[in-house]
Amino acid sequence: MRLRLGPLLLVVPMLASLLAVSLYPVLRTIWLAFRNTSLAAQGDRFTGLANARRLASDSHFWKAWRQTLEFTAATTIAETLLGLVIALALYKRFRGRGFVRAAVLVPWAIPTVVTARTFSWLFDQGGLVNYLLVKTHLVGQPVNFLGSTTLALPTLMAADIWKTTPFMALLLLAGLQTIPPGLDEAARIDGASSWSYFWRVRLPLLMPTLLVASLLRALDAFRVFDLPYVVTGGGPASSTETMSTYAYNVLFSGLEIGYGSAIATSMFITEVLIACAFGVFIVRRVRQEG
Amino acid sequence: MAVRSRPDGSPLSRRNFVKGAGAVMAAAAAAPALAACGSGGTGVATSGGRTTITFASAKFFAQESIGQIVDEYNNSQRLVSVQFQELPTPSQSTEVHQQLVQSLSRRDGSIDVFTGDIIWISEFAGAGWSAPLDSYFGPSVKAQYFPGVIDACTYAGAMHALPWFIDAGMLYYRKDLLAAAGVAVPASWSELVAGAQKLLGAGKVSDGYNWQAKQAEVLVCDLVEFIGSNGGSILAPDGKTVTIAEPNAVQAVQLMVDTFSKDKITPKSVLSWDEVPSELPFLGGKAAFLRNWSFVWNDAQNKSSSAVAGKVGVAKLPAFPGGKSTACLGGYQFGMNASSTKKSAAIDFLTWMSSPATQLKWATQLGLAPSRPSVYKQPELAKVNPFMVSLQDIFTGGTPRPKTPKYSQISLAIQAGVSAALATGEVASNLSSTKAQIEQIIG
Amino acid sequence: MRWVRRGAFGILVAGIAVWSLFPFAWQLATSFEPDRDLARFTPTWLPIPGGTLQHYRNVFVAKDFAPYIVNSVIVDVSATAIALVFAALAAYSIARLPLPGKGIVLGLVLAVSMFPQISIVTPLYQILISLHLIDTYPGLSGVYIGLSLPLMVYILWAHFRTIPQEIDEAARIDGASPLRALWNVIIPVALPGVVPAALLGFIASWNELLLALSLMTSPPRQTIPVGIANFTGLYSVPWGDIAAASVVVTVPLVVLVLVFQRRIVEGVTAGAVKG
Repeated sequence: MRLRLGPLLLVVPMLASLLAVSLYPVLRTIWLAFRNTSLAAQGDRFTGLANARRLASDSHFWKAWRQTLEFTAATTIAETLLGLVIALALYKRFRGRGFVRAAVLVPWAIPTVVTARTFSWLFDQGGLVNYLLVKTHLVGQPVNFLGSTTLALPTLMAADIWKTTPFMALLLLAGLQTIPPGLDEAARIDGASSWSYFWRVRLPLLMPTLLVASLLRALDAFRVFDLPYVVTGGGPASSTETMSTYAYNVLFSGLEIGYGSAIATSMFITEVLIACAFGVFIVRRVRQEG
Repeated sequence: MAVRSRPDGSPLSRRNFVKGAGAVMAAAAAAPALAACGSGGTGVATSGGRTTITFASAKFFAQESIGQIVDEYNNSQRLVSVQFQELPTPSQSTEVHQQLVQSLSRRDGSIDVFTGDIIWISEFAGAGWSAPLDSYFGPSVKAQYFPGVIDACTYAGAMHALPWFIDAGMLYYRKDLLAAAGVAVPASWSELVAGAQKLLGAGKVSDGYNWQAKQAEVLVCDLVEFIGSNGGSILAPDGKTVTIAEPNAVQAVQLMVDTFSKDKITPKSVLSWDEVPSELPFLGGKAAFLRNWSFVWNDAQNKSSSAVAGKVGVAKLPAFPGGKSTACLGGYQFGMNASSTKKSAAIDFLTWMSSPATQLKWATQLGLAPSRPSVYKQPELAKVNPFMVSLQDIFTGGTPRPKTPKYSQISLAIQAGVSAALATGEVASNLSSTKAQIEQIIG
Repeated sequence: MRWVRRGAFGILVAGIAVWSLFPFAWQLATSFEPDRDLARFTPTWLPIPGGTLQHYRNVFVAKDFAPYIVNSVIVDVSATAIALVFAALAAYSIARLPLPGKGIVLGLVLAVSMFPQISIVTPLYQILISLHLIDTYPGLSGVYIGLSLPLMVYILWAHFRTIPQEIDEAARIDGASPLRALWNVIIPVALPGVVPAALLGFIASWNELLLALSLMTSPPRQTIPVGIANFTGLYSVPWGDIAAASVVVTVPLVVLVLVFQRRIVEGVTAGAVKG
């Protein structure tokens, strides 16, 4: 009995505080998703699937949805790969490693509002990036990064990759450190090349951490808000509108609480689908270990 | 005696009154206005015999802050005590809006008086959150303010906000460059294009005309000005008929596109610019013309941050042939919570806050432009801020943005639609789909 | 061949450092630059000749930034510490004890980090109002605990599972309770995971703006991101002051990381010796 109850007791504090901040907000949001609640229009009725139908035909919503998925996929993949490279480099022993490890965290530590403003300044047509590009003759004319419908979203992706790669690097570095040092030596003695050692030993051992880290990252990237909100306001021509900026505008500017909640709920559903894709792998591993 | 209850008391006597007369007299003066409230009995919070009201406002600051001016009111009389609840800065205007709405929609009177962006007035009025003020401020009072701001404060025929301070779009230009090149200050858009091209061609500047096209509220402001200067509008005065796809509007938006695509007087990154990014090149001496609000003047004159101090002139924005220069109105205005249980105290406070004497303080201490033309004639303002005095003419023609309770939804649709029109260059089709969207929102 | 490799590695590391530090270095430069130079677009690399401490003076004297830092430290340190304890207990139970329904618990934890933050702002505001916790340290701190838990639980879970079972068995044979085993054996061994969990959770709270803005309604309680946002007036963006403030709040974090590095390394060796 002690064995059964003890493990449960240990998860109670966590579950309690998770539910405290999420149970009511989540249930309320889902409940509102089926109502036409609007502070401005003074409505508050149950309308069934009216919001869902409106979503289905809301081209702005689908544009935001597509763009947010693109953003999520591109940044998660890039951050995972770059993070892996950085983690592998910083795992080695070299002089000044402590300093570089701390330096890597700087982008993640700078307040996002400041990063966003810095990037809007750096990537302006008269900004530093263009100044350097023109000076080094990489381009003839300054590039219109943020005012172009094709480049604005990739520029925001670059900003996010810069800011969030440290997050991945730190997690993967931590993962690398759990690999028993003995394996290293064993592989050396076997005469395995470092490349095959990486593929055959390190990567499989790192896989759980890698999956968990990129899952968390993907879920977070899908909710991206500050960067587009501050830097481009979702423009030009809504080309950087994300689910969060759209929901925020509908909820807080338009005061359409019902419809905004429907957007939020659709975000939740998309996140569940993303998680399922990862979850298949993760659950399988948990099962393997019983 | 009547000074307190009469908002039209002459500013001079008002100021001397506050300075000299002291609290006792102020209290006596306030008594009539508050008599009803004092005997109102239940539910009225009083502290030491004073009625306590709550005033919520976004954070504005300069040499002085709002809190200090509120303190002056509290010290000037003994019947009302105002508690100041500071909201985030107006740069976080969505948060300010959100916090106000959260409080007002509870209808519990937890705030009595508030300040809000000029574009929220119809929404608050339509929802029944802000009290109509006509019974307190009659036609003679309204006549003391700029007509445009009174228009913006009026919803469905009733005044729902008392003017605080205003701002408007204006044209900044480089006096020195224009004079050297023999270019006159442009009154029409074609003159502006020609002048900018001349200066660009001479290599004097790298940007001809900087304005704002970021997919944000400021895009609606610039739009109101471009369309208005061609005799058009976004919404007809009835608040129902959508006019954004009329030929004169299409022509105006085409001009916006032309500035960066055909005439090449504006950098293409204008599509990501709001106020500050468009201002910086101008301050750095790299732009000939700039559309912006009044804050640019101080930045431009500040020798430590500007390369163009003393070289800047200000004029009304240009117009199309046969059109009239249009300046989009901005600023924050006072409102009273419809659920307030202390309305007479609230009105007393509002009257004081919007009085000529206090408006002079707002202008000289916080740099907020008066909504009363009479204050512009004050010698003290001319001494402290002569530039502000020169703006009276621009403010007189100030034009509000569309007035409808669903303004914020409409604004989002306009931002997306016009941004698409500018980015793709397909003006007519994007404006007509924006029109359809607005019609759907208005219902 | 060997030196080519070493050279390439050196370039890689240098590249990583530059990539990470460059915008920060630029901010550092900005924070010492007089306003005039900020309006010029072409960058000046070393602002030393005309350098000024004015922005730092503005931050601490005119803008009274210190209270924001104090508030942030109180809220974020308490939130991180409590969340870490909750997460460690839970992760230990999920990873190493016979907890029924592990998959469900993990799924539930994840579900919380799938809900868009913007849609929980208003309900949280309502909850805190009704509990009289609006505008209080425990209110915001409690919210941050809940929000940083998923990340922490997952990181700790991933680390706890990799520790060989023999270790707790050895502890159990010594007669240690599960809690004691967690504290004395597992945590030290898993320190390389515990430290990033704490650090990432802390930084997330340290930078959080949206909730801080809505749930801390009075200026004396507001946190750093709100403080920085407050610098911006209706239209004025004081770049120099913002840069100075962001240097002031970033540097302590970096120092913190440098200090913890030693601990991580020590932890690893300690764990290895024990294991």
